[in-house]
Amino acid sequence: MHHNPISIENLSYIYPDGTQALKGIDLHIKATERVALVGANGSGKSTLLQHLNGILLPQEGQVVVGEYQMAPKNLRNIRNFVGLVFQNPDDQIFMPTVWEDIAFGPMNQGLQGKELDDRCTLSMHAVGLDPERYAQRNAQNLSGGEKKRVAIAGVLAMQPQVLVFDEPSAQLDPRSRRQLIYLLQSLPLTQLIATHDLDLALELCDRTIVLSEGKVVGDGATEQILGDRDFLERHHLESPLSYSRPYCLLEDVQAIDSVTQNGNGKMVGLGVKAIEI
Amino acid sequence: MLLLHIGGVRLDVDSHKQTSWHDLTPQIRISCVLLMVLAIALTPNGRWWTWAIYGVGILGVLLASRVTFSVLLKRFAVELSFVGVILLGTLFRDGGEVLWQWGWLRITTTGLTVLGSVTLKAGLSLLLLNLLVLTTPIPVLLQALGALRVPPLLVAILASMYRYIGVLIEEFNSMQRAAVSRNLMSNRRWHRLVIGNAIGALFIRTYERGERVHYAMLSRGYDGLPHLRKMPKNQRRDILALTSTALLALLGQAVYLK
Repeated sequence: MHHNPISIENLSYIYPDGTQALKGIDLHIKATERVALVGANGSGKSTLLQHLNGILLPQEGQVVVGEYQMAPKNLRNIRNFVGLVFQNPDDQIFMPTVWEDIAFGPMNQGLQGKELDDRCTLSMHAVGLDPERYAQRNAQNLSGGEKKRVAIAGVLAMQPQVLVFDEPSAQLDPRSRRQLIYLLQSLPLTQLIATHDLDLALELCDRTIVLSEGKVVGDGATEQILGDRDFLERHHLESPLSYSRPYCLLEDVQAIDSVTQNGNGKMVGLGVKAIEI
Repeated sequence: MLLLHIGGVRLDVDSHKQTSWHDLTPQIRISCVLLMVLAIALTPNGRWWTWAIYGVGILGVLLASRVTFSVLLKRFAVELSFVGVILLGTLFRDGGEVLWQWGWLRITTTGLTVLGSVTLKAGLSLLLLNLLVLTTPIPVLLQALGALRVPPLLVAILASMYRYIGVLIEEFNSMQRAAVSRNLMSNRRWHRLVIGNAIGALFIRTYERGERVHYAMLSRGYDGLPHLRKMPKNQRRDILALTSTALLALLGQAVYLK
């Protein structure tokens, strides 16, 4: 595994209509790091993500993925190295059946026969889809959570070293979101997760990068960045819900603790974080 | 509005049965059906015995493949009603003896022959195509088309049409629901205008979605040529099936040889 899979230096991007989406981004991500990329709408998250997979090429500055400089001649290797999971699974799952869609990436890598089957089965297991039940299902008739899993399996099947997610928890119900969090926790890959779901960021990622108007305005430990309410509000974000619930107050935690201890004599772990509000 | 149901209806009701027809590889099933449809359609009008022989053959395959007749007949009836409109046009044409006349409308012997022939051709072909779709899932059919050397790009286009028609219909329905929920029922003309706009918006959305889908394909290493899965090789029974289909086609034509 490459020790420094993504490094971006002084990257800028201006859309054809003149909107400056990225301004001088500097970013380095280490192997097996799980990094959250947060920012308000229009802060340039998606534009940045599209640079990691070669869908957009740098206009200024440079992007190095693994040992590959972002350039047309390296695109094939780069796309095998970085797997991009799109926000809307309907955009990503374009083959009629689940199996065909998952096999799409590996087939582009030239896999055939048993090797291909093994790769697909493995990645279906990795996302918790039973190949027997799902392989021949029509992509149209899956639930949102299942579609998300198929989309992730399709990317995992290419065996990338870096996974990049665009809003992975958007449009998922609480149970599917929870399953997604467990799934991402179980994958031992370098992950970059662009999200508005700051609670998900808090739970999954040790490091958080904040984008605002195309610039990196914050980069550090997730708890530190998401705990700084003024900073977040300056950049049109707000602190995670789990930081702002009333029972997070210290005195309440003690009160609840005493109730649970007195009630049936057993101690119940509530697992809340004590933050002053 | 038949199209509206494509996403939800299961087309291949009988694809899991195990019969000698299902044992054939999908590409051979397509070849047999195509061969028969060509033979049926290219038979000149009025050769009733040819179609009778073909009909017996088709009935044999229908029985052998154990398709669900209620579903088959239902679909057949719906499809034939569309064909019916065209058939009416063939009835009132000139030529031969006039059997019945009312104003400029008249039924002639030629008209009747053409009507009967076209009905038979359409009916027999529809039966065969329904048999194919009932017993073979669409994705398998598409793969089989690839195996039959249909250009891969064309197969890929068909596959994404099949995949996205449901998504588009869902998008159109949700736009329509959104309009209705804001009280779109005042008058008919306005309603039509709004639906027209919705279709226009859908066109643009399709375009945008196409772009996003293309990005998603690129990011998984797509290089402009879709790869097709390997299909099972032809076996002896496949060759036998194709040969007997060809023989049946020839036999039907041979009845009128002089």
